[in-house]
Amino acid sequence: MPETAVQTTVRELTFGEAIREAIAEEMRRDARVCIIGEDVAEAGTPFKVLSGLVEEFGKQRVIDTPISEPGFTGIGVGAAMTGLRPVVDIMFGDFLTLVMDQMVNQAAKIHYMSGGTWKVPMVFRATMGATRRSAAQHSQSLHAWPSHIPGLKVVLPSTPYDAKGLLKTAIRDDNPVVFFEDKMMYRLKGPVPSEEYTIPFGVADIKRAGTDITLVATSSMVQVAFGAAKLLEEIGISAEIVDPRTMWPLDEKTLIESAKKTSRVVVIDEGYHRYGVTAEIASVIAEGAFYNLDGPVKRIGAMHVPIPFSPPLEDATVPSEQQVFAAARELCGKA
Amino acid sequence: MPALEMAQETGKVVSWRKREGEQVAKGEPLLEVETDKAVVEVESPGDGILSAVSAHEGAVIPVGQTIAWLLAPGEALPIATAPAQTGRRTDTVAAGGAVASAGVSSPTPVSPSELRISPKARRLAREHGVDVTRLRGSGPGGEILAEDILLASKSGGAAAASPATPAAQSKAQALPGEIESLGTVGRLMAARTAQSWTTVPHFFVTREADASGLLETYERLAVEVERARGIKATLTDLLIALVARVLAKHPRMNASWAAEGIRHNAEINVALAVAVEEGVVAPVLHKANRSNIGEIAVRRRELTQRAKAGRLQPADIAGGTFTISNLGMYGVDAFTAIIVPPQAGILAVGRVGDRVVAVDGRAAVRPMITLTLSTDHRVADGAHAALFLNDVVEAIREPKKWLE
Repeated sequence: MPETAVQTTVRELTFGEAIREAIAEEMRRDARVCIIGEDVAEAGTPFKVLSGLVEEFGKQRVIDTPISEPGFTGIGVGAAMTGLRPVVDIMFGDFLTLVMDQMVNQAAKIHYMSGGTWKVPMVFRATMGATRRSAAQHSQSLHAWPSHIPGLKVVLPSTPYDAKGLLKTAIRDDNPVVFFEDKMMYRLKGPVPSEEYTIPFGVADIKRAGTDITLVATSSMVQVAFGAAKLLEEIGISAEIVDPRTMWPLDEKTLIESAKKTSRVVVIDEGYHRYGVTAEIASVIAEGAFYNLDGPVKRIGAMHVPIPFSPPLEDATVPSEQQVFAAARELCGKA
Repeated sequence: MPALEMAQETGKVVSWRKREGEQVAKGEPLLEVETDKAVVEVESPGDGILSAVSAHEGAVIPVGQTIAWLLAPGEALPIATAPAQTGRRTDTVAAGGAVASAGVSSPTPVSPSELRISPKARRLAREHGVDVTRLRGSGPGGEILAEDILLASKSGGAAAASPATPAAQSKAQALPGEIESLGTVGRLMAARTAQSWTTVPHFFVTREADASGLLETYERLAVEVERARGIKATLTDLLIALVARVLAKHPRMNASWAAEGIRHNAEINVALAVAVEEGVVAPVLHKANRSNIGEIAVRRRELTQRAKAGRLQPADIAGGTFTISNLGMYGVDAFTAIIVPPQAGILAVGRVGDRVVAVDGRAAVRPMITLTLSTDHRVADGAHAALFLNDVVEAIREPKKWLE
C-alpha cells in the first residue's frame, strides 16, 4: 500500500499535552518567555498541564507565587512592558475578577495611552467550563468579559491542534492575549503534527461541512455540536460546525458566509446566555446575512444562574447535545 | 393610499373593484392604482365592509392619505375622518399583494407586519414574483419559509397571482379610420417617450464591434446554463452581463439626472426593453454586475414572461440605472433609442451579421454588431460616452476578460 511509504508525522496528543508543548517550544525558542502563577512549578498546576517545565527551564523562568492574583498579574504586566513575554497562569477563570484592573485598565490600555511607546506582550492563561463539581466560584466561563475590552485579544481553542497553534501565536503576539482553556477538555485527544506550526488569530475553522444549518460553537461546545450534528444527520439534516476560535479578532466573514449558505444558525457557547458572546456572534450574523436567513438566529448558553454544586443541577445549566439538536430541528422545520 | 414604490408620492385611483357598502374579504381585489410606472391592483388588507370611500376614480391622492374605511358589521365610522396623512410607506414587497393602507389607523387594523415570513423568503418572493399573501407557511409557527416560496414559484400556483391589468385585457382592435384607445402601457409609453424626447438632450454615439468572441463565449456559456438550469440563455443575457460590468467602470453612464445635479447610483440595475402587445416595458435586472449569466437568464426569463402576461410588479420595473434595447431579432442593423429618464443612457443593439471588414489590411468576413448609445448630455458628455462604448466594444471582443 502506498500509505506505508508516507512518513506519518501526525501524533495524537491530549489538549493538556498540546498546551504544554506549545509553551515548552516557545520557551526554547525565546528566552524572554516565562511562566508565573500559583502552583505552576513543582505542582505543574492542579491540572498537571505544566508538568516538567520547571525541570527543563528552572525556577527563574517558571515562577511559583503565593495566592496573590492581583500581585503576580501586576508583575506580569510590568515584566511584559520591560521586555519579557510572561505567561500568567490564572488557575480558574473565575479569578479574573481579582485581576480586572491589571488586565483591563493596565495591560489593555498602556500601548494606546503611551502613544505606542510601550507594548504588553503577555498571555493570560485562564480556565473555563462547568461540570467538574467545583461549584459556583470555580466553574464559570467568563470570556465575554475580556472580549468586551478593546486592546485585549481573546482565544478559545476547541481541539489539541488549535490549542497548540493558537497558544504559540498568543505568546508571539505583542499585545495582551487572554487564552481560555476548558478544564474539562485537558484529556481530549486529537491529532497534532510534530512539525512547527502556528494558527493566525481571526480565522474561524469549519470543523464540519454541512448544508442545512450552521452550528457556531466555541471551546468544548464544539464537541457538543458534533454530538448534535450526528443526531441531526439521522433525521436528514446536514449541520455545518463553525468554530470562531478567537472571540477577538472575530472572523465575521466566515460566520456570515456559512449563515448565507445554510440560512439557519444556532450559536452555542458555555458562557452565560445573557449578554454572552453568543449575542455578539448572533448579531454579526443577523446583520451580515439577514436576507439569507430563513429563521431567527438561535442562541444557546449557560443558564442564567450561579452554577450549582449539585451535580444533576450543574449538568442542567450547560448546553447539551439534546438541547442543540432540538433547537436545530425546530429551526429546520422538522420539530 | 398605499405606497407601491420607494419614491412614490401620489397614486391615481383607476377604479374601485368593490362598491361602497359591499362586503370585502382579505386578499380580494379592492382597487386599481396607477403610479407613474404601472397600474397595480391593490388587494384588500382585511375583511370588512367598504365604507366612506373618499377617493373617486381618477383622483390623484397623496400616499398615506385615507381613501376609504373597512368596517366590521355594525361598526360606526370613526368621527374624525379627516384625511390622515403620514410619511410612512409600505414595503414594496407587499405590493401587488397585501398592500395595506400604511399609516392609516384603520378600525380593523391589518398590516403587512402581521405576515410572518423569514427575511430570506421575503427576498426570494420578490425575486420570483411570488405573492406571499396567498401562501401557507410551513414554519414552526406557520411562518413562510424560503422553501415555501421556491415551491410556489415552481408550481406557479400562488406565483404572480395578481391578475392581468385591464390594459392587457383590452385587446379590441381599432378598425381603419377609428381611433384606437390606449391601455395603460400604451398611454404611459406615449407620455414618457414624448417627455424624454422633448426634455432630455439626447446625443448618439455609434460603434461597430467584431462579435466573434461574443458568439464563441455565448455558445460555451449557453451549454453550461442549459445544463445547470435547464433554460436557454440568450445573447441578450450575455450582453446584459457585459454591459453591467462595463458600467461598473463608468459610473457616469450609470448615473441619473436629478434636479440638483448628477446622482451617482450605488447599484447597477440594467433595464431591458421588452416588447409587449401594447408597447414596450423595461423590467430591471437588479445588480446585474454581480450576477452571472445563468442568474441573469433565469431572471430575464421570469421578467419577460411576466411582462408579456401584464403581470409585472412595481419592484420589477423600479430602480433601473441603464437600459438595453435589442432589436437584433427583428433583423435591424442599427437604430437609436429614446432614453428612459432619469437614466443617463440607453444602448441600442442591432443584429449580429456577417460583413466584409478589413482585418490586417485584407478583406475578411466577420460577424459584426452595431451599437448605438444614446446619452443624456446633462449627465455625460461625448468623451464619457465614447470611452464607455469603447469598453463595451472591448467586452464584446473579449468577453472572458470581463466576466472573471
